[in-house]
Amino acid sequence: MLKRMSVVRGAIVADADDEADGAMAEGTAAEQANGRVKAGRKILPIVEGVVLVAALLAPLVLQDYLTVFATRVVILALFALSFDLVWGYAGIMSFGQALFFGSAGYGVALLARDLDITNIFLVLPAGMLIGLTFALLLGGFLLLGRHPSSVIFVSLGTLTGSYAADRLARGWYYLGGQNGIPSIAPMSLGSYEFSEGPAFYYLVLGILVVVYLLCRFLVRSQFGLALAGLRENEQRIAFFGYKAQHLKAIIFTIGGAVAGLAGSLYAFHEGFVWPNMVGVVVSTQVVLYVLFGGSGTLIGAVIGAVIVEGVSFWLSDNYRDIWPIILGLLLLLVILFRPLGLISFVLGERERVGSFGAKVKEKRDAP
Amino acid sequence: MANAFVAAFEILSFGAIIVLIVLGLGIIASMMGIFNFAQGEFVLLGAYITYLAYAKGLPIWAGMVAAPFVVGALGFVLEALIIRRFYAAPIVAMLGTYALGLIIREAVRGLIGGFYLTVPEPIGGSIDIGAMHISAWRFTIIVITLLVMGLCYLLLSRTSFGLRVRATLENPSLARASGISTPLIYGATFAFGAALAGLAGALIVPVFSLFADLGLRFLIQGFVAVMVGGVGSFIGPVAGAGVIGTLSAALPWVMAPVVADVLVFVLAIVFIKFRPQGLIAGKGV
Repeated sequence: MLKRMSVVRGAIVADADDEADGAMAEGTAAEQANGRVKAGRKILPIVEGVVLVAALLAPLVLQDYLTVFATRVVILALFALSFDLVWGYAGIMSFGQALFFGSAGYGVALLARDLDITNIFLVLPAGMLIGLTFALLLGGFLLLGRHPSSVIFVSLGTLTGSYAADRLARGWYYLGGQNGIPSIAPMSLGSYEFSEGPAFYYLVLGILVVVYLLCRFLVRSQFGLALAGLRENEQRIAFFGYKAQHLKAIIFTIGGAVAGLAGSLYAFHEGFVWPNMVGVVVSTQVVLYVLFGGSGTLIGAVIGAVIVEGVSFWLSDNYRDIWPIILGLLLLLVILFRPLGLISFVLGERERVGSFGAKVKEKRDAP
Repeated sequence: MANAFVAAFEILSFGAIIVLIVLGLGIIASMMGIFNFAQGEFVLLGAYITYLAYAKGLPIWAGMVAAPFVVGALGFVLEALIIRRFYAAPIVAMLGTYALGLIIREAVRGLIGGFYLTVPEPIGGSIDIGAMHISAWRFTIIVITLLVMGLCYLLLSRTSFGLRVRATLENPSLARASGISTPLIYGATFAFGAALAGLAGALIVPVFSLFADLGLRFLIQGFVAVMVGGVGSFIGPVAGAGVIGTLSAALPWVMAPVVADVLVFVLAIVFIKFRPQGLIAGKGV
């Protein structure tokens, strides 16, 4: 296993090196490049730290209604994280991520409405479980099988799933039809109730940080190494003996669970769920966040969600009508000229691919 | 008896609309291997142009004639400027065309506001057969769809342009080596697919009325139809569109519309999973 991993690592590093080849033409240039890379390695933690500090301080400087808005953004960032895990790390284009987000939202809304269950330690795991189950079913069906599914099939399959769920939610009276489920009881912890405001914000932020760290650990683990290989060259990974489809199904399911967690938080924060939440609109929204921010970096997804939501909130007062057009134009420009997203302005490709596993000690005096 | 006939007519006319929309989508998907997310917005644009002609006091049919040409020209320009860069990467193409679609959709939304605008049927009234009345315009759509299908088929199978298109589809590098300008063929094909979408939009606007999300409604149905039919041939997507259109129109007659809606998609996805090449495999006309 370990040997296999080191082969994969070699393959990926070789891929990353291809792009740095130009700079490494001469010996001195190589050293310089090496130094640059070493300096570059520190950027990601800095970006993460800045975002974290900004997020911690936000409620102190923001007015109350902005804190409520910021809470929503943090939840959406969590949602974006789930998509980044699936697309940025495993290369599965999930155009139906909202299916897991929304179904978990509906699930916890029903728990609160019909069974009066609002305890945070029950509803959040329930939401995760719902997202996980749906992702396992859909992902298992779309990804597993005798023949590997084409990437087009998976993306259209998830898109169709999300669209079908939207139609179902709209037409199903039990789920409230077009209007969704209004006035969900607030999430509770004992006798304390989480209502909109700083407490809810810090709760959500705490969850985001924990999930972020778990994801970061996951994608930097040996499993994450195999995933990165999958994204770069699926066939090569399959030739190494990995069951590429299983890896994909696993990460898809994990992504579904994270989306479910975000969805249940969103339902309790907004206080209602409605059919759009499972539909194509929200599914594509999350794709926008991650593309803007930069896929495959985790922090890029968070930044993307904050920027897209923040700018649209800021512009929606004066330029409500043309904002979506601007968004479309910007998205087009990013896809054409910055396929790795805004984060690629500060983050090098090598750092995006990242280092994996235990640090290999350099043997300088080896012959 | 009369009811069954009316039902059959409804099913046929909805099937014809889906075929019309899928035709362009299928041609682009088969030729370039990209799924054009902006296709729904080309439909919307065709509908909008027809509405514009009507609002300016021109005859409606003038708008309907103009729509495919305007949308086709736009498609040609977009292909040359943007779509061309996406051929190597189908997923990026999806996202790029989605962004394009978003721009067009929101621009149209800005122009018409959040309203549902109606355009009268250029051929109003109904055709009476005995005691049954069927909408004359829906009947016209069926006829036009059949005509367009026939013309497309002839264009692809009988003309020298069609030969070049098929050659490019079959083996692009060999086609280039034989002196066929493949970029031009791609551009023309994309424009042609866009024009078909524009025509579809122009024809259906009297039936569905004009609103910004008009195209979105058909986009996913169109994708599913193309996948069910099989990418790579002319007849595949048409067959798929026939199946999906018929099913989506027929199932609501026998079960709750909500269940029918979802069932069509579930059936389609299951079908594609177990027969990825679609109803009709292989390339060609």
